[in-house]
Amino acid sequence: MKLNVNGVEHALESGALTPLLHVLREELGVTSPKAGCQSGGCGACTVLVDGEPRRSCLTPLGAVDGAEVTTIEGIGDAHDLHPVQEAFHTLHAAQCGFCTPGMIVATVALLKRLPQPGRREIERALSGHICRCTGYVKIVEAVEAAAGGSR
Amino acid sequence: MAKQRGRGMAAIEYPTGMNQGGDPSQCWVKLKPDGRVDVLSGTVDLGQGAKTIQTQIVAEVLGVPTDWVTFDNSNTDTSPLCTGSFASRATFMGGNAARIAAERARERVLDIASRLLEVDAADLDIDEGEVFVKGATEKRVGVPDVAAAATWQFGELITGTGAYLKPYANVDPETGRTDRNPHAGISYGACVADVEVDDETGAVAVTKLIQVYDVGRAINPMFVEGQLQGGGIMGLSFGLLESSYPYYPSVEHRGSEFGSYLSASIEGLPEVETVLLENPDVDGPFGAKGVGEMASNGIGPAIVAAIHDAIGIWVTESPITPERVLRALDEKAGGGGEPRRDGKRYVFDESLSVNALATGISFEVNV
Repeated sequence: MKLNVNGVEHALESGALTPLLHVLREELGVTSPKAGCQSGGCGACTVLVDGEPRRSCLTPLGAVDGAEVTTIEGIGDAHDLHPVQEAFHTLHAAQCGFCTPGMIVATVALLKRLPQPGRREIERALSGHICRCTGYVKIVEAVEAAAGGSR
Repeated sequence: MAKQRGRGMAAIEYPTGMNQGGDPSQCWVKLKPDGRVDVLSGTVDLGQGAKTIQTQIVAEVLGVPTDWVTFDNSNTDTSPLCTGSFASRATFMGGNAARIAAERARERVLDIASRLLEVDAADLDIDEGEVFVKGATEKRVGVPDVAAAATWQFGELITGTGAYLKPYANVDPETGRTDRNPHAGISYGACVADVEVDDETGAVAVTKLIQVYDVGRAINPMFVEGQLQGGGIMGLSFGLLESSYPYYPSVEHRGSEFGSYLSASIEGLPEVETVLLENPDVDGPFGAKGVGEMASNGIGPAIVAAIHDAIGIWVTESPITPERVLRALDEKAGGGGEPRRDGKRYVFDESLSVNALATGISFEVNV
């Protein structure tokens, strides 16, 4: 089985039924997708599979063989922040940070699909992502700011 | 049958940290030979911003830029003790320890600088990383030069330790009075909730939350706002959604996984308006109080009051589920308790409840 993770090709040893989340975290050491509820309910494990947000905890490796996977490590780093990361950082849209990688990759996919989303579209795109710290207020503000900045 | 609107308010007061001892915080500040500042502390930053806030406190006291200061809480074994990030105490208690440690380090900076400038330390001040003579600002020396002189010229280390523990209040057994205030850093707040209640389905939607908090001093206004917004939506979840026993009345059917303990999602959020009032506290660092925990406490009561305003019922249990709203409406209508259960019989299976009884959880079921 093969995956392209953040631009790097990997030949994998994990079995076809191993959740993508564990392949990333355990076999490849990519730890930004978080093992939250591990039943598809919290959004903390979200990664982009061929550009689309997917719950990596519910995605067996065999279903995404050969796909391109993007995690937040492939979006930007501390020295070269993606505009969405920049907005989350500047506007304090992350507190403990557990939901943040999933929130940010989902936002990146949203803005690619819909560069100027309305409030409703932002809520729809992030409705499956639970955040216990921020009350979502600053997350919505950050997504709006990132969209505004990309105009 | 229609959607009814209502507005409710709740007020709250809340102390900071524990009382009558038990939760000290300690801190150690030291200068590197180049003037950069290390703050060693055990305060855990769980997202509220304790690292940034204590960095700001130390930089402000020492008169140096914040980016010269490194807050290191990476090793709680070797760092000074902090009893934890709970009871809204990280900024108040940990921040006080950091303030005191920085004040003592500042005295040492001024002591070394007074030797270099040959001016009495009492006549010196520090701003933007430079020590200068008050009233004669051209006579100055940079903090990096002071730290270098301490290291290489005088053979000394510029350092300061600080600790904070609320003083114990002795209670007079005769009168019950204390010889000092056992509390410190009491914060006050008020929450207003606007709701829309569907009196046919029992569904409650919060359309607007206004939160006003006396935060003492907002050392980092954006972070305080983050605490209050987060606490506000958590309070909304406490009020409307979160239940340890979502499938009552049988406790065996308690939520077994993340998804059965509902919390608010980003969809359908109320408009949230947050107002910070600054009413500095005599004991807090720069007047700061702790408001992290209280932020979630007033919302539920405000929602209950708003529901009463909308449809004239008091819901006395949380979370305020549609079922509880409808039961209260039925009771109000004088339908003799619970008319919706007429003709139905609920069978209580005792064998299923062995676990519950064994764990000491008691509950009542009306057959």
